[in-house]
Amino acid sequence: MRKMLRNKYFLLLLRLIVGGVFIWAAVTKIADPLTFAQDVRNYRLVGQTLSFLTALILPWIELIAGICLIIGVFPRSSALLISGLLTFFILLVAITIIRGIDVECGCFGTLSRKADLWLILEDSVWLTMSLILLFSPANDFSLLRKKNQSLS
Amino acid sequence: MKLLKSCVRDFRNIGSFLVEFWIVTRKILFNRQTWNEVFIIIGLAVVLGLVSNLGLIKRFLAGEFRQAFISQEKFRGLVFISLSEAEDLWFNQQAVFIDSRSREEYDLGHIPGAISVPLEEVKRGNQKFLESVQPDRTFVIYCQGGDCQTSLNLGKILYHKGFKNLKIFSGGWAEWAAAGKPVEK
Repeated sequence: MRKMLRNKYFLLLLRLIVGGVFIWAAVTKIADPLTFAQDVRNYRLVGQTLSFLTALILPWIELIAGICLIIGVFPRSSALLISGLLTFFILLVAITIIRGIDVECGCFGTLSRKADLWLILEDSVWLTMSLILLFSPANDFSLLRKKNQSLS
Repeated sequence: MKLLKSCVRDFRNIGSFLVEFWIVTRKILFNRQTWNEVFIIIGLAVVLGLVSNLGLIKRFLAGEFRQAFISQEKFRGLVFISLSEAEDLWFNQQAVFIDSRSREEYDLGHIPGAISVPLEEVKRGNQKFLESVQPDRTFVIYCQGGDCQTSLNLGKILYHKGFKNLKIFSGGWAEWAAAGKPVEK
């Protein structure tokens, strides 16, 4: 197991999966910011203005972080950002379930599904992959990083 | 004795794992470069997000989208109405009232004559309501009021099903009941 977590090809595969999911999620939201803004508003945590700003900026963070993770520019920082976002999404869905609000998650634009326990499970899988990328010393393939900045 | 030894070994392994994990975590989280890179990504996203949506930002600053994020080009005919407008339509029987809350909430009290069409049921595919009404009539949809969004979300679904004359009473049940208007249980 430990060997696998340090395998560069396995880590590259994880980067392609996590980065790909984030790029796909971002593109569906960037294509229709108003629908995403309404999805954010439906969670009933923030008002109109903050929902609007979130809908304009959050998908771009997902897109850039996803691209960076795949092409190897700031790979650990983008894994940190993605892990932070996924932790936030999991907490958000959990709070929404506890509050008894029935909403679409807004994760993939019009292809979104209900924010429920299955979504928490799905996000937990992405979070696990992202945390492996964040903490694995072998995840040091980077277009910009110098050799002495590797964790290992 | 054997068991004790194996327990000690396990604790040592867990301990060394935790130490290793803490060292790596510190290297990542207490590293200025990591945070600089995170801020570069966020900064770039802010710039791209704002620049690519200048048109929408202009419309938002002009007062559009203050009640809901729907574009009038996409949802022509779906409008928001106040308590007095809802009251006029109700007294003159010019519209069918739709209660988008849950059945339980509806049973506790609703606007007289309103039909219960819970959003969750429509999402689950219950089309009973759609078969029993004429889509060309005027409909007033309401939910609890305040922060609730189910009336708007039901409105959007109905709009796509061919209901083109929809009015969202955003004050909802809370405003109607608080104003002392007629109620039915």
